[in-house]
Amino acid sequence: MTNEAYDLVIVGAGPAGLASAMKAKESGLEKVLIIERGEYLGGLLDQCVHTGFGLSYFREDLTGPEYAKRFIEKVSDLKVETLLKSMVLEIDSDRNIKYSNSSGVRTLKAHSIILAMGCRERSREALRIPGSRVAGVYSAGTAQRYVNVDGFIPGKEVVILGSGDVGMIMARRLSIEGVEVKAVVEVLPWIGGLIRNEVQCLRDFGIPMHLTHTVIEVHGKRRVEAVTIAQVDKHWAPISGTEKKIGCDTLLISAGLIPENELSRAAGIEIDPVTGGPIVDQNLETCIPGIFACGNVLHVHDLVDNVSLEAERAGLHAVAFVGSGTKPSGKPIRLKAGKNINYIVPQTIDGTSEVTLYMRVKEPRRNAEVKVGTIAKKKERIVVPSQMIEIKLTSSALADLDKTTGELEVACEGKGD
Amino acid sequence: MENQEIICVACPLGCHVTLTVDASGKIVKFEGNECKAGEKYVAEEFKAPIRVFTGTVRTKGGARPLLPVRTSQPILKEKILECGRYICVLEVAPPLKTGDVVLPNILGIGVDLIATGDLD
Repeated sequence: MTNEAYDLVIVGAGPAGLASAMKAKESGLEKVLIIERGEYLGGLLDQCVHTGFGLSYFREDLTGPEYAKRFIEKVSDLKVETLLKSMVLEIDSDRNIKYSNSSGVRTLKAHSIILAMGCRERSREALRIPGSRVAGVYSAGTAQRYVNVDGFIPGKEVVILGSGDVGMIMARRLSIEGVEVKAVVEVLPWIGGLIRNEVQCLRDFGIPMHLTHTVIEVHGKRRVEAVTIAQVDKHWAPISGTEKKIGCDTLLISAGLIPENELSRAAGIEIDPVTGGPIVDQNLETCIPGIFACGNVLHVHDLVDNVSLEAERAGLHAVAFVGSGTKPSGKPIRLKAGKNINYIVPQTIDGTSEVTLYMRVKEPRRNAEVKVGTIAKKKERIVVPSQMIEIKLTSSALADLDKTTGELEVACEGKGD
Repeated sequence: MENQEIICVACPLGCHVTLTVDASGKIVKFEGNECKAGEKYVAEEFKAPIRVFTGTVRTKGGARPLLPVRTSQPILKEKILECGRYICVLEVAPPLKTGDVVLPNILGIGVDLIATGDLD
């Protein structure tokens, strides 16, 4: 349009960044740039040497690197520009982007931006686990990088805190590399990741899992020597008398992923305190016109296939924005998290465009029914926090929506324990 | 008659299914599954549990220290650890492309170990 340097700049070259770039370019956008702080495209997929990627997107069971390669090749064929080893320092509401690399600090202007920065892992410090500050405490993803990219094992006797998928995957990976994984410790009464991983990563290798337990102390002088675990009550307080000491030289933490939104906050983008990601509308557009978000930076996903699909939608919406700007669409309708619903993305809809809602429950329920106001519902045999639920709002469903309240509540009923 | 418990992973329910097996090894009863589709998964898992082996091998003279690899097909679950130990001593050299066979017929199982990344 004017003298903007790029039609679209995408921050992050992980699966979300790659898929949105691919879609935007395929849809005819000319100047598309991906800025990535790391040394290669593909983001964390490169260190995910296990399978489970692409089951729905490609109908194949691929490893992380294989899945990434499909998009990397597409992005290259489409001549998307990429800047590696370049860190975005600042984004402002006029869509100026300041970034830094070995050539110095530069600024460029984007007609539209897609935020695709992904997540960080929750740290021991954030969990405030007492005890010595010794070497040998890592996040599970850090250990994964050491083992799968750099060629080191983190230790010889490992305890894993948190039953998220990353932790369980590492339990298997370390076992295959001859490391003794002594236990997986989970504070909730249910598993944090997929049942498939419980079976194929823990049970297959005889690794015990202690639900409703947490690590209450780390012992050691310069290196981890042991951890003490204890059972917790429903307030997560340790129950006296249940303490157990487990000798180990390494503690891996797999206790949650946190969307990385420093850039978004600094730009003045409103963040949802539950998801940790930007508040977006049905176009995945943030409160700043022309800035979109997708993938794990928006909300933590279970499956990369859904990240790619969401990112493609973001790409299409960015293309539409560059073509004709954000269309005013009347008072947005706010999605409200009702009974047993943790969050819903997008957080607002215009009430007329077809849209798929993504949500998570707070607690597992059997024979569950998720209702979106009175206009849509979905029945599931079981709903669990670790598996995202999708409900599509069709045009006919939206026609039944009472838009005057400005609100639409999503609630989940089901049999608990 | 013997009982064995298998967790079905076909859906998030993760039903703990108890199998009753006769002397010839045939499943005569499924208990604990909430659907029929799970029976097929559990029967196959009982007969011959298989998994895809994935891991890494060291490189020599390559642009990075490790190459990610996988078996081209799933293999018997009980062979997984042996695979891991066996490939510890392998070293591969560039150039390699995703899909290239790194080790044919690993452990004589009839399945190849293939690269899942490129090695320049």
